[in-house]
Amino acid sequence: MRSSPRSERRRLRDAVAAFRGVLSPRRRIRFTQGGAIFTVGTLAIGLAGINTGNNLLYLLLGAMLAFIGVSGWLSERVLRGLEVRRRTPAGTSVGRPVRIAYEVFNRKRRVPTLALQLSERGLPESAFISSIRAGATESARSENVFRRRGVYPLPAVTLSTTFPFGLFRKERDVELADELVIWPSTERTVAEPTLEDAGTGDSLTVHRAATGARGEYRGLREYRGGDDSRDIHWRSTARLGHPVVREYERDDGRTLWICLDTRNRPGDHSELLVDKAAALSALASRRGYIFGLAAGTTRVSPGSGPIQLERVLDALARVDFRPDNPPLSLPGAPGICTLVRPETA
Amino acid sequence: MSRLLLAHRRLAILMGVAAILAFIGGAGLETPAVLPAAALLAVAFFWQPSPELSQRMETFWLPLVLVLVIRALFHVFQMEGDVVVPVVDLLMLLLAAESLRSLDANNDVRLYTISFALLLASTIYRPSILFGFAFVAFLLLATLALMIGHLRVLSERHRAKPVHLTRGFVTAATGVSTVILVMSVLVFVAFPRVSQGWAGVENPTPMSMAGFSDQVALGSHGARIRPNPRIVLRVTFPDGPPEEPGRLYWRGRAFDHFDGMRWSRSDDLAPSAMPSDWYEHWGGLVRQRILSAASDSGVLFGLHPVGLISIPSRRANVLPDVAGDFTDGGREVVSYEAWSATVPPPPDVLRRPRRGRVPSPLHHLQLPELPDRIRTLADSLAAGHDTQYDRARAVERWFHEEFTYTLQLPRTPREATVDHFLFERRAGHCEYFSTGMVVLLRAMGIPSREVNGFLGGEWNDFGEYLAVSQNQAHAWVEVWFPQIGWVIFDPTPPGTAGAAGTTAWSWPGRHFLDGLQYRWDRWVLEYGFEEQSDLLDRTSGIFDALGDPSATGTSLGGRIRARFWIAGLVLAGLLGAWLFRRAGRRHSPESRVFLRLRAFYERAGIAGAAALSPLDFLDRLRRDRAPGLSHAERVVDLYLRARFSPRGIGDAGRREMSSSLKAARRAVRHAARGAARETIRGAGPERESTIGAVQGTAGR
Repeated sequence: MRSSPRSERRRLRDAVAAFRGVLSPRRRIRFTQGGAIFTVGTLAIGLAGINTGNNLLYLLLGAMLAFIGVSGWLSERVLRGLEVRRRTPAGTSVGRPVRIAYEVFNRKRRVPTLALQLSERGLPESAFISSIRAGATESARSENVFRRRGVYPLPAVTLSTTFPFGLFRKERDVELADELVIWPSTERTVAEPTLEDAGTGDSLTVHRAATGARGEYRGLREYRGGDDSRDIHWRSTARLGHPVVREYERDDGRTLWICLDTRNRPGDHSELLVDKAAALSALASRRGYIFGLAAGTTRVSPGSGPIQLERVLDALARVDFRPDNPPLSLPGAPGICTLVRPETA
Repeated sequence: MSRLLLAHRRLAILMGVAAILAFIGGAGLETPAVLPAAALLAVAFFWQPSPELSQRMETFWLPLVLVLVIRALFHVFQMEGDVVVPVVDLLMLLLAAESLRSLDANNDVRLYTISFALLLASTIYRPSILFGFAFVAFLLLATLALMIGHLRVLSERHRAKPVHLTRGFVTAATGVSTVILVMSVLVFVAFPRVSQGWAGVENPTPMSMAGFSDQVALGSHGARIRPNPRIVLRVTFPDGPPEEPGRLYWRGRAFDHFDGMRWSRSDDLAPSAMPSDWYEHWGGLVRQRILSAASDSGVLFGLHPVGLISIPSRRANVLPDVAGDFTDGGREVVSYEAWSATVPPPPDVLRRPRRGRVPSPLHHLQLPELPDRIRTLADSLAAGHDTQYDRARAVERWFHEEFTYTLQLPRTPREATVDHFLFERRAGHCEYFSTGMVVLLRAMGIPSREVNGFLGGEWNDFGEYLAVSQNQAHAWVEVWFPQIGWVIFDPTPPGTAGAAGTTAWSWPGRHFLDGLQYRWDRWVLEYGFEEQSDLLDRTSGIFDALGDPSATGTSLGGRIRARFWIAGLVLAGLLGAWLFRRAGRRHSPESRVFLRLRAFYERAGIAGAAALSPLDFLDRLRRDRAPGLSHAERVVDLYLRARFSPRGIGDAGRREMSSSLKAARRAVRHAARGAARETIRGAGPERESTIGAVQGTAGR
């Protein structure tokens, strides 16, 4: 079979690109403790060889340099030709293990990948795969525990190996943008939320998300996780190609709003407020209440159930405290909010 | 995991064994701990103690280690002696102790380090080729052990499944160790030898070589009497070997004073070396490159008469002493070059009467108290011969014809005298013959002296060098001829000179082994600036031959070099083509399967298929009703999913792609065979009708 000039040109381009890759590899090399000692030993033997003129020391020097050279070559072979996929959890609370799963496909035709470590910048624990055969896929996962809520960007997966001799660690970054959302803790003990009905002034008995508690029909919106499947509007879903649900008016006066004032300095005290809001949300979810979140300018529209809790926790994870933040605009009358602000913490 | 642990431990133990062998290659069995350590390593290879027993054994090892540490310190500070042996003893003990630990002991690095330290200690000596073999084994084992050990530790640390020791893994690791070996050799060859060192390399155990000290007792030629095949000289002739290299006299030391029982060198000897301009009576110069076993005598051997000896590593010449002998006053010299004029003047030149000085006549005509019958014998042998040369030849011939050679030493002191040798025993070894001849010549008034050295040697075709062993130790006579110099006479009966006839080691592969040893000495131990320059010159010579067409057209060497270069260029071209093809293959496995499918259909007759996009390709197959369409559709579907779906297709998908490709191929081939059968069946009736027609014709 004859190949076309175009494919020849492409090959040539690939070859040039490969050559450039050889010239300027984006790799980092770090000494391990053993590698540092080995390198110092190599230098010492080299000096001893020069000092004594003993050819056998030159022979040993050659072997030690060869070990160093082969380390670099083999570790490069290990890190090349890999495709990485990463799966991160939707969110995990502070103090609980966060499991990041990796799937690595070895594209190489003959060379296996051995002793591969996968890590994320800033995370102490990494995943490890002892061996991936050529043309095969292996998976591994890492577990990390976070002490602070927030959104942790994961710009790249760092592939590293100390193969073959453990003298050096060679690292390579694979651009794979993602983020980890660490929710605030919901373990804090909080008082049972009680509200006064804004309309009647009676002490509110909060609405439970009971069957049929839908109110007036308002319109259609895109499906979100946790929505009741009975609300799916099938005709529109078929027409648009993605699930769409009916939305109903709710009676704000019978909804629990968790209102968080974000005008505060960042620090432990502010985190306490977030934890309290998270605990309230968890409690509301457990009780089956309809609840929403207002934190600074952020709003999570009311809903119920575990998916609503995740939405609220996700929003809480992203809350940013600043003294000059705009004042909290309450979603309704003050009576319908459980206000979480510095003075109440 | 335990299998991996055991394999790793055994590899580490074998590394230790290789290090011990390397040490034996240098120091032999000088260190007392060598054999016990080797035995304990053998035990550790087959048996590993339990953790409890290993713990109990600690109580045994620790005091022993303490004793050896104290011994080493005592050697260094109290005795100011050689520290190598006690330190090596300590290392051997530590190696054995670490090897005999339980498998769960995390002592990999200690085992590696101790083995390497032993290997390092071997380099202090001047090891034989055994070090070379052990070094290669050490590299192979170290590569395997380090790789397996590292993978094992990582798997344990991350609680991952361990790597299986497959045959492929071991083969790959062996390949890696080969690469390491080649790289070591390249570094060794290319590392600039800018310095010969300030500390230098000394051989702490030089060979004891009898017969070359300041005194030699008659009748005690020491070790030479017993067969000793140890090689003492390996000589190459860069300008081509002289004729009969096995009959050359390798001159060592001359002795001028004989007291009746022993030969010695006089302190008050006047300069007795030949002036260099006398060499014009001798043949052309022969250059010898000599690798000598380090000996305690410091004698530098060369073909008689030696004109010049130079030591390339020092870039200096050695000056002869008053007797014309060459000795090295500094540290042991093992590699040097000598220039000699080996063809003696013809008899008619030696017969010609010449006047001239006799160097130190008192010494070279000195005789001890001798019985009168010896002088009478000398007169009778000289009778009828006018020239000094003829008299010397007559004495030499008399010994050849009337005496026999024996290695049997005299039984009593009286039998050991020259008088008893000349008149009663009439048999002896070379020392007796040379002594007898010098005594007779001096009795005739002819200046002469006894010389010790080596006669002959064994030509090694494998290395193209002459190997001279201790068996070839010999003694002969030098007679002074004015304006010519010292001329060799050898009274020992021919064919039995020295102990050369005795070959204790007659194994057929000895030439090969000794050739290896020679190369080891020449290209490893003695490799230096000169050899590097030589190598550089040869490399640049290849360039010169390539650039000079006349060189390739005329000289054989030039043509060979040019062919070498052409072969090199072809190899480089093939390598480049391979890299180019390899670059073209930088596709994912899914892409490769799809490309193979497209190419296959193009070959099967769907013109232009190889240039179509996946969906156009499928349309084309559908339009042409190509066989295996459903399989091809599956391949294309999986290919598109692999490329564009974020979830990929996984290993199962890739396997399905491969099997669908095979199924599509089978379908196409099956269809092609079916079509071929149809064609044949279609042609069948025609053939039958033709046959029928012929038959019909025949029937008419």
